[in-house]
Amino acid sequence: MKPPKSRFWLPAARTWNPSRGALSRRSVLRGVARGAAVAIGLPPLQAMFDGNGAAYACDGILPVRFGLWFWGNGNLPDRWVPDETGDGDAWALSEQLAPLAAHKSKLLIPTGLDCKLDNTSPHGSGLAGILTGVPRVSFGIGGPTIDQVIAQGIGGDTIYRSIQTAASDTSGESWNGPNSRNPAETDPYAFYARMFGDTFVAPGEDATVDPRLGLRRSVLDAVMGDISALNSRVGAEDRARLEQHLTGVRELETRLARLEEDPPELESCERPSEPTGDFSDLDGRAQVRVRNQVMSELIAMAFACDQTRVAAHFVTTPVSDVLFPNASSGHHDLTHNEGGSQPQVHDITLQLMECLADTIGLLDAIPEGDGTLLDNMVLFATSEVSLAQTHSIVNMPVVLAGSACGFFKQDHHYRSLSGDNVTKLLISLQQAVGMSVSSFGDGAAAATGGLSGLEA
Amino acid sequence: MLSFRFPRCATLALAMVSALACDPDAESKPLPHGDRGAAPEVGVPAPRLKRLTAPQYRRIIADVFSPDVLLPATLETDERIEGLFQVGAANTTISSYGVEKYEGAAYDIAEQVLTTAAMRSRWVDCSGETIDEVCATDALDALGQRLWRRPLSDAELATVTDLALLAADTLSDFDSGLEYGIAALLMSPHFLYRVELGDGPEAPAGGYDDWEMASRLSFFLWDSTPDGALLEDAEAGRLTDEATLKAVIDRMLADPRTREGVGALFSEMLHLDELDSLTKDPNVFTYMSDELGPSARTETLSVIERHIFDDDAPYPVLFTTRRTFVDRTLAALYNVPAPTPEGFGALELPIESGRRGLLGHASFLALQAHAASTSVTRRGIFVREVLLCTTIPEPPANVNTSIPEVAEDALTMRERIAVHLEDPTCAGCHRITDPIGLAFENFDGLGQWRDTENGAWIDPAGNLDGTDFVDAWELGGVVAGHPVLTPCLTETLLQYATGASVEELDEALIDWHAEGFSDADHRVLWLLRDVALSPAFRGLGSVE
Repeated sequence: MKPPKSRFWLPAARTWNPSRGALSRRSVLRGVARGAAVAIGLPPLQAMFDGNGAAYACDGILPVRFGLWFWGNGNLPDRWVPDETGDGDAWALSEQLAPLAAHKSKLLIPTGLDCKLDNTSPHGSGLAGILTGVPRVSFGIGGPTIDQVIAQGIGGDTIYRSIQTAASDTSGESWNGPNSRNPAETDPYAFYARMFGDTFVAPGEDATVDPRLGLRRSVLDAVMGDISALNSRVGAEDRARLEQHLTGVRELETRLARLEEDPPELESCERPSEPTGDFSDLDGRAQVRVRNQVMSELIAMAFACDQTRVAAHFVTTPVSDVLFPNASSGHHDLTHNEGGSQPQVHDITLQLMECLADTIGLLDAIPEGDGTLLDNMVLFATSEVSLAQTHSIVNMPVVLAGSACGFFKQDHHYRSLSGDNVTKLLISLQQAVGMSVSSFGDGAAAATGGLSGLEA
Repeated sequence: MLSFRFPRCATLALAMVSALACDPDAESKPLPHGDRGAAPEVGVPAPRLKRLTAPQYRRIIADVFSPDVLLPATLETDERIEGLFQVGAANTTISSYGVEKYEGAAYDIAEQVLTTAAMRSRWVDCSGETIDEVCATDALDALGQRLWRRPLSDAELATVTDLALLAADTLSDFDSGLEYGIAALLMSPHFLYRVELGDGPEAPAGGYDDWEMASRLSFFLWDSTPDGALLEDAEAGRLTDEATLKAVIDRMLADPRTREGVGALFSEMLHLDELDSLTKDPNVFTYMSDELGPSARTETLSVIERHIFDDDAPYPVLFTTRRTFVDRTLAALYNVPAPTPEGFGALELPIESGRRGLLGHASFLALQAHAASTSVTRRGIFVREVLLCTTIPEPPANVNTSIPEVAEDALTMRERIAVHLEDPTCAGCHRITDPIGLAFENFDGLGQWRDTENGAWIDPAGNLDGTDFVDAWELGGVVAGHPVLTPCLTETLLQYATGASVEELDEALIDWHAEGFSDADHRVLWLLRDVALSPAFRGLGSVE
């Protein structure tokens, strides 16, 4: 058995670089970067977790899942925050949240939450605040992003500890720690092959029994031996890098071992059909909505089949200059240079919320137990700033969809009048999936306790 | 000895030349080349594992096996740090998904090699009809040396051979088994990282050993793995002896692969890889097409290759030369006659085109612009950071960075961004970048000439660090003569070659190389040779 092939293969001779390149300015002043030893890896969790995942199951049967749904360049806060607070009919969706109307009964909108980090890096500080709760280091992200923190808690029992996808050409913003990104898959075909290709076994099908799986694991054992031996020869920073590599190899080995087990009986799991169509730019414009749709379908089925319980999906990323339909310039450019009430920026935000509605709808369309997949998870939709024009990181945009098995209130607008630390939300999210965490974050972003006002 | 003078400015990464740390024994030592003193005795960058970049991985597979091997469309994502993938490669990790991709690639390569007679026969010297332990051992020994860039130890060879034989037994087929041995070589950290640690028994004090030097040299100059001849040089100990090392470097520089390697270097430095995903609004830029980005890269790399290898001309002249190479796509954009109906042809840009040098290329003008407009700031930052090694701090957060919209009294970008040059919150940085960017306003966001913007004449005149210019044409000359241009290339090459961050490179050493470069008329081939002989490259110094 060979690993699944991607549809797109290139001759070795063709030099081709998949990376669009991250922010690449020499943004570090001389002398600043030096010294700070870069530690990679996750902070020790405060509790050990149940190895079989039962602790996180909804009603002891279905697992709870976590999804991060991220877009770049924020919102227009004046048109985002609903007027009223409370439950059900007590509140109505705001202008910018209107595209989510069909799903209002499963939404929880927290507003008034602030990033408490010093806002020293436009788009960078907010990203660090909303996803890590840890101040930036010289080269960028200073700690693991929330998807990885949660994967550490609930990702251990599935084929994939976590998955990362994108609906535009970006590497995404899922990080294990400084300089350690989990690159997002941008190609729907490659993502399909990874999730549902040769190595996928649908419920009712026989598990793969193939001696080649064992041979592949033997090769990985040898690789791990090489990494360990190398570890003793290198300095502390390289050791941390090799540890991360070793983690990846170990995960792959575990994954191969699981392929020999019968797949779990999951009522809604079925092998989805392969994506069809051309997802490349159309007239210079990225097909963000189409790409979000196809990726979301696959993510939803990956959840339903328990291929993973943690997904981080980046529709766009900070400073994204994607050219949206109807826009006269790139998104980021418009957030700064469009005048007046920024009608184009508003329109793009609406387009993004339509994408979010698509994703929520797909998750809510999969029946599970007495409800749907969406009920058994929480989708955390957010961005790195609120008003991008000023790089504001107060009153951060957040949409929560799904109750995480009854943990979160539904059909509710929660407004923090005191500008609560958004890190508290990161604590609530961990608690929602069953992790016993009471404090989180570092420096000015550190917080203790979740937001009890969000809890059902 | 020349020295360059530049007004002190807190934002300049390159300070003025410091006095040379002269070695009293310099007279009796062989000089690196040219008539100058020995390199200053300074700290050198500590060894770091460098992950192969995706282009390096592809080039290695093409070199070792065949250019016909098909590889996955993506491997682990490369990251730029301080603008360079090579610095990123020394700092970033291999993700879980990356491990998966490398595994998939390894088996697919191994399968193609063993099922393609021409590739197989290069490395496997038996029919494969029976399980032949000696044959497996020999094949993996030879391949291991090429892929790991050093001989495998007996234990390492035994491990991969045992894997191949176990698999052959299990699958009852020699070749199927050998696939696992080859895949194991390709998944090992000894392949995926350049393991140059200077900790071997043969390494000179504080330096890298011959095998490590072979690896460093080939990745620096060829962006690929050492070939058989270079590994022979390593085995013979020629890469730790200065005299023989020079001869090897000269042979490498004359090898056509150095053209590709230098192309990789400038592609990385000038961000030319990003031209693959150039995004422009086709309603605004009617000359935009899928071919434009790749064509623009070919233009720039062709000019650089001709300049460095065929003309051995001074680096600064790249910014004033009127010679370029264009295809029909670029000729249309530049409004010049296409020199050839098919492919690229040489062209002398007419003076009236207003365009000359690398900064007249679409690879710069289109890439450093927005999807539907120019970007004064991006173009300015590119010149400052990439060409002049000047760090531009991030703009302050919590500041409204908007510029006024087009109005009767503000038709041109110069008028609209005036606020950036007046508001003290913005002016500190924008005065460093914007006068440069404004000079290019005669080129729209794709790089097409325009005299006016919104009906108003564009005024491209400005001043770069004390020297006036009237337009982009003149600015090319000012950049060419800028005292920091060539020290900046020196610094960038040292970073590219070593993977070190700026902070790890001693300024005195950068200055020493930069002065040599100056004395050598700024010929890039000379600088490549000098960097390959540098204490920082060879690890000959104290590690801080």
